[in-house]
Amino acid sequence: MTAIAHERHVAPAPTRIWNVVRLHIANPIPTLVLPWIITFIIFAANLAIWLMVVQVAGGVENLEPGAFQYSGGISWIVVFMMVVAVQAMNLTFPFALGFAVTRRDFYLGSSLYFVLLALLYSTGLTLLAALESATGGWGMDAAFFAPYGLYDEPLAVLWFAYFGLMLLFFFLGAAIATVWVRWKAYGLYAFFIGLAALLIGSAWVITTTESWGDVGQFFVTNSPAALVAWTLPLTLVSAVVGFLFLRRATPKSA
Amino acid sequence: MTAIVEAAGLTKRFGKVTAVDDVSFSLEQGGIHGLLGRNGAGKTTLMQLLTGQDFATRGDVKIFGEHPVENARAVGRTCFIKESQVYPDDFQGKHVLKIAPRFFPHWDEDLAQHLVEAFGAPMDRKIKKLSRGQRSAIGVIVGIASRAELTFLDEPYAGLDAVARRRFYDLLLEDYAEHPRTIVLSTHLIDEAAALLQRVLVIDNGRIVINADAEELRGSATTLVGKASDVEAFAAHREVLDRSAIGGIASVTIAGLSADEKRAAAQAGLETIPVSLQELIVRRTGGTLTEEVSA
Repeated sequence: MTAIAHERHVAPAPTRIWNVVRLHIANPIPTLVLPWIITFIIFAANLAIWLMVVQVAGGVENLEPGAFQYSGGISWIVVFMMVVAVQAMNLTFPFALGFAVTRRDFYLGSSLYFVLLALLYSTGLTLLAALESATGGWGMDAAFFAPYGLYDEPLAVLWFAYFGLMLLFFFLGAAIATVWVRWKAYGLYAFFIGLAALLIGSAWVITTTESWGDVGQFFVTNSPAALVAWTLPLTLVSAVVGFLFLRRATPKSA
Repeated sequence: MTAIVEAAGLTKRFGKVTAVDDVSFSLEQGGIHGLLGRNGAGKTTLMQLLTGQDFATRGDVKIFGEHPVENARAVGRTCFIKESQVYPDDFQGKHVLKIAPRFFPHWDEDLAQHLVEAFGAPMDRKIKKLSRGQRSAIGVIVGIASRAELTFLDEPYAGLDAVARRRFYDLLLEDYAEHPRTIVLSTHLIDEAAALLQRVLVIDNGRIVINADAEELRGSATTLVGKASDVEAFAAHREVLDRSAIGGIASVTIAGLSADEKRAAAQAGLETIPVSLQELIVRRTGGTLTEEVSA
């Protein structure tokens, strides 16, 4: 029999993890191109409506100040990040395992990919918000890239809010998707029953201790930056939970 | 020679179902090996256990002398293509080929392009919109062009027509001859693949029922046809795997006939027919099934 050369060589961990990032962007359209296109389409639609209103009002000066500062059109992108995470765990995970990737490398690589995407989009949107503010809200005192509630905040806070919320939705999505990958429908039933129990339980505690006022106070007194900072522990917990779930998950064929 | 795959008492249960049942075997490095068995026999589960994709309930499994689960050093030398391969959403064939070299150190780009042409696989359409055969072709291309030291192909040609399957066997063998490695091919199209195989493992109800050299296995049974009385006289005191009779003509399938015995049978006026691998396996695995049904 022909001798087969023995190879002990295996790519070092950072390379393997980076390869997983590259796997996620092998097709760059869905996560690097499409979100910008959709964002600009939504922006264009907002712009058209603002122009129409300005036209009818006979000039910006006839409008209430800040009339165009209540847009939430950009928030779709945060939800989109959750979808990206779900797809990654549900479809890319079984594919990657066939490509000789370990669960650990896949999860670390995917997490890096999430962080990089969050950096890219939060920075890009913040730059657009800077442009928006420099042009006097596109000449109409309008706000699209700085959504309602963050319009008056410094750009650094805006960036942090985008970044923090995207991370939260990425890792929440990843954690929920790993429940599905590992336990399928029954896992999700259990998850959502647990979540409902948690929410109702919290409401119960808040009501019986008559603390709704304090809860409201929490959201009013804390700055947007502080509120976003409060999501970071939840993001971290989701990330760890997702990893623990995926560590023992098996790619089941559909 | 070294064992590249070792399983000892390997068992996988899903609830009450035992998909892999106390399986012990080893495969030597080098060669194309067949993992044969009926649908649901446990072929895919066994391959998932061997590649660390699934976790054993009991027992031990090693590839390259190491446990495969979460072991990049061992798993990184494998490639596992499944019949129902899942691809990332919106992936096209070209994306698969673009990313493959990062994961398979022996990837051969020229070979991959050659295979794309040979199978006529569309590279610039979404994989989820392809036909079953076209999807299989993409899996087959990756499986061969990866040239992984240990390649698992699980029913890789589902949906491919006979011509494409023939091409697959030829191309696999051709590349294997130039770049020897260890390939484990699971299939239920036994006769088609038989010529390729060096070792045959037959799994039935989660158990390995045959683990033999393909050549030995092919010679291991012979069917004798002739006058019923002659056939019975010859078959007496021999291990009969199967028998049938129509009118005065009988046929028996006998295990382990030597060349001398075959000559003796011919002299006794019996026609000797070699039994194909497929027939042999159907008899062995079909047999256990009927026993269970009648039990």
